[in-house]
Amino acid sequence: MPKLNKFRIQIQTGSEGIEEPARFCFNSHVLPLEELSGGTKPGETLEGGYDVNSVAHSMTLVGPENGTWSLQKIKVDFECENTPPYSVEYPAVELDETTELNIWKDPPLPTFDV
Amino acid sequence: MNIITKFKNMFSSEDVVAEEPAQNNVADDRTNISSEPVEENNPFPEPEPVVRRVIRVAEVADDIFPPVDGNKVLIKAQPSATSDQCLFMLNRPLFSGHSWWFPDFESAEGSLLAERLFSLEDVESVLVNEATVTITRKDKNIFDWKPLGSEVGTALRELLEERGELISEKIISEMPSQDEIQEGIQKAINEEVNPGVAGHGGLITLEHIKGNTITIKMGGGCQGCSSADDIKARSS
Repeated sequence: MPKLNKFRIQIQTGSEGIEEPARFCFNSHVLPLEELSGGTKPGETLEGGYDVNSVAHSMTLVGPENGTWSLQKIKVDFECENTPPYSVEYPAVELDETTELNIWKDPPLPTFDV
Repeated sequence: MNIITKFKNMFSSEDVVAEEPAQNNVADDRTNISSEPVEENNPFPEPEPVVRRVIRVAEVADDIFPPVDGNKVLIKAQPSATSDQCLFMLNRPLFSGHSWWFPDFESAEGSLLAERLFSLEDVESVLVNEATVTITRKDKNIFDWKPLGSEVGTALRELLEERGELISEKIISEMPSQDEIQEGIQKAINEEVNPGVAGHGGLITLEHIKGNTITIKMGGGCQGCSSADDIKARSS
């Protein structure tokens, strides 16, 4: 498991937004996103992140306590120890009070041309 | 039946079927958002903790190959984290819609692709899956894949230029139908796999089948379990 130094996330909200703060769950600990800009109303894009500095086992974007959050696009930029920065993009998905979205991905293995 | 036998072998080691459950396993791939204990005889009990289901969606994949003119064959090699295997990704299919595992040279008879790859020194097994080939090497103490990778790349290009029978007609004609594979895999999961992984609090379910490629979901206590990592490594 790699040590995740920090990450930034961009969340583009679709037709249904949320009023409450966006939260993520890291290794079963629910935390608010920090250094926020933008918003989570329909059509808005929220940007945030967190200096985690911990070994990553799991990381999810937590659904709202009430209602539905329609996510149009999610992009996560990871900075792990001893690996180059990498990004992962997820397609449209809906979250509610019963769901959370996996947003963790191990660093990609290096490739070379043959 | 090649695919079902290989599937069973993935789960056959003793460490997977250990009786003692792991102590630090997560009970499910769900997060207990509120873990406050509910006191007995409390007239104002806390609400039931919210147990959330983790949704896993496939990431938006970038095309790993740039557009090329003509028939230029592009190949990328990706050694595994343990360096005993290397995945070779091509910009064209080798075995459309299907996969086949060649565990040894004898099994390669009639399949030019596997025969050629086994003729290279240090190749232990070959897995062909649509537009990829995964090579497992014999010498587990060699970590540099560039020399062998270069030989594999040359062999693949030559084979594609020759336009021969990459996978033998016998394998293709005798390949079990999707329904037969589904039935066999489901039977193996129910009767042999799940009784074993249940000892770790795990649960394996068959997600879907495409051609003869199966996708399984490893749930329950599989998350964070070292045996699950072992199974994933053996199934890749």
